[in-house]
Amino acid sequence: MNLNKKNRWSTIISFIVLLIWAIAILVPLFIMLSAAVKSPEEQATNPFGWPQKIQWETFRQAWTDAKLARGLGNSVILVSFSLVLIVMIGSMAAYPLARRTKWKPVYLYFLAGIMMPFQLAMLPLYRLMKMLELINTYAGGILIYVAISLPMVIFLYTGFIKGINHELEEAAMVDGANRFRIFWQIIFPLLKPVTSTVLILNIMSLWNDFFIVLLFLPKKEMRTLQLAIFSFIGEYNTRLNLVMASVILSILPLVIVFMALQKHFIKGMAGGAVKG
Amino acid sequence: MRNPQARRIFTNTLRLRRFLGDALFLVPAIVIFSIFFAYPVISSFYISLTKWNGLNPELKFIGLDNFIKIWSDKHFWTALTNSFKYAFFATTIQNILGLVLALAASDKHFKVFRVLFLIPPLLSSVALGSVWKYMFAPNGAINLILTTVGLENWTQDWLGNPDIALYSLVATTIWRWTGMSMIIYLAGLQAVPTVIQEAASIDGANGWQRFRYITFPLIAPAFTINVVISMIGSLKEFDLIYLMTKGGPGRATESFTTYIFSQAYNSNKFGYGTAISVVMFSIILVLSLIQIQYLLKRELQQ
Repeated sequence: MNLNKKNRWSTIISFIVLLIWAIAILVPLFIMLSAAVKSPEEQATNPFGWPQKIQWETFRQAWTDAKLARGLGNSVILVSFSLVLIVMIGSMAAYPLARRTKWKPVYLYFLAGIMMPFQLAMLPLYRLMKMLELINTYAGGILIYVAISLPMVIFLYTGFIKGINHELEEAAMVDGANRFRIFWQIIFPLLKPVTSTVLILNIMSLWNDFFIVLLFLPKKEMRTLQLAIFSFIGEYNTRLNLVMASVILSILPLVIVFMALQKHFIKGMAGGAVKG
Repeated sequence: MRNPQARRIFTNTLRLRRFLGDALFLVPAIVIFSIFFAYPVISSFYISLTKWNGLNPELKFIGLDNFIKIWSDKHFWTALTNSFKYAFFATTIQNILGLVLALAASDKHFKVFRVLFLIPPLLSSVALGSVWKYMFAPNGAINLILTTVGLENWTQDWLGNPDIALYSLVATTIWRWTGMSMIIYLAGLQAVPTVIQEAASIDGANGWQRFRYITFPLIAPAFTINVVISMIGSLKEFDLIYLMTKGGPGRATESFTTYIFSQAYNSNKFGYGTAISVVMFSIILVLSLIQIQYLLKRELQQ
C-alpha cells in the first residue's frame, strides 16, 4: 500500500519533469512552424498566436528559389551510394577481422581511426583531393564519407560477427561453397540488427553533414540539401517565413523516416552510443 | 596422405588460399581508409612542420616554428579557453538533464516523450542554427516571450553580447543533444533488474539510496560513454558555431575548429592551421584513450 502511494508520487514527478522538457523542445519547433506559415507582417504583430491565414505559397516559393529539388537529388545520390558502400565494404572487412586473431593489427589500425578527429585529416585531405581533382565531384564526397565512417562500422560489425557461431559456415565450407557465397548468403543476412544500426547512424550523420560538403563540394550544381538551404538563408536572411519554410522542407525527409522506423531508430541511436 | 611432404604442401596451399581469401575481403576497406583518412592524418604531422599557403603545391619545411608561434598566439588561447568552457558546460548540463529525463522516462507509459526528445538530434546543424538564430535575435522569439510576460529588462542580444554568446551556443547544444544522452542512459537503465530495486525498497532503502547504491553503479558504463562522447563532440564543434556566430562577436565564441578553419581558408595559413589541429588532436587523444579503454573492456565482456 505504502509502496503504491510512493510510486504514484514518483510517477507524477516524472511526468512533470518530462512535460517541462517537452515544452522546451516544442516551443522552438512551434515557433519555426508558425513563422513559416505567417506573412512577415503578421509574424511581427502576432508572433505567437494562431495564423490568420496559412500561407502555403511560402513553401512552394522556398522550394523553387532555394533549388531544393537539385539539393535533394545531390543529397540522395551522395548518401545512398555512400551507405551501400559503407555496409558492403565494412561488413566484408569485419568478417576476417572477427574470425582470425592474426588480423588483430589491421583491426587496431581501423580502431585507431575512431580516435582521430576529422579536423586532423581535413587540410591534408583538401590538398590530396585537389591533386586528384576530386573536389566538387560525387566520387570525392562518397570516398570521404566511406573512409571516415569505416572505423566505427568495422568496430560494430566485428563485435557482432564474433558473437555468431562458426558451425554454419563450417558446414557450408565442407559442402564446398566458396567464401564469398558463404559470406553473402549465410553470414550477411544474420547481420541485420547491426546493419540497421549502421544505416541509421550513418544516415543521420551523412544526411545532415555540413562541414565536409562545405569544404569539398561547395560548387553550386553540387550543393546538397544542407548547402542549398545554407546559401538560400544567407541570401534571404531577412525573410523569416522563407527561411523557416526552407528549413522545414529540409528536415522533413529525415523526420518522416524517423517516425516510420521509430523502433529501429531508437535502438540504433542507443546502440551507436559508442560512436565518438 | 601419408607422405609428410605432400601434407605440408597441402596445408601450405590451404593457408595461402585462406590468406588470399581474407585479403580480398579486407582490401577495399584498407585501400579507401588508408588513402582518404589514414594518409591525410599521418601527413598532417608533417604539414604542421611546414609553411604552406594551400594553393602552392610546394611545402616549405620550417621545423617547430608553427608550434612556437601557437604558444605565443593569444587568439589560440582564447579559442582553447572557449572550447573548454563550451565543452565543460555542455557536458555537465546535458548529462545531468539526460540522466534525470531517463529516470523519469523509464516508465513505459511515457514512451511518447522518448520519441519527442529524439527529434532535435535528427535536425541538421543548418536547420537548428537558423531556428535558434531567430530565437536569440534581438527582435527574436525569446525576447518577444520575455516582453510578453513582463520581463522586458531581461531581454538581450543573446548572440551579440560577448559575455553571453558562448552560453547561448551551449544552450542550443544542450537542447539538441540531451535526448541522445537520455536514450543512452535509458539503454543502461533497462539492464537494471527491477527485482533488486524492489528488494532494496522492502529493506527500507529510500529513493536516493536506491539510486546511489544500485542504479548508478549499474549504469556507470552509460555514464562514461555519455560524458566522453559529449565532451569530445563539443570540443570538436564547428557547425553550430560557424552557422550562428562565426566565432564572434569579436572572438567571444571562437573555438578550436573555427580558428583552424579561419586560419586556413581565410588567412591561407594551411601549415599553421594544421599545427593547431595537431595540438587539438593531442588534447582529444588523451580524452579518447579513456573511451577506447572502455570500448575494449566492453568487447571483452561480450
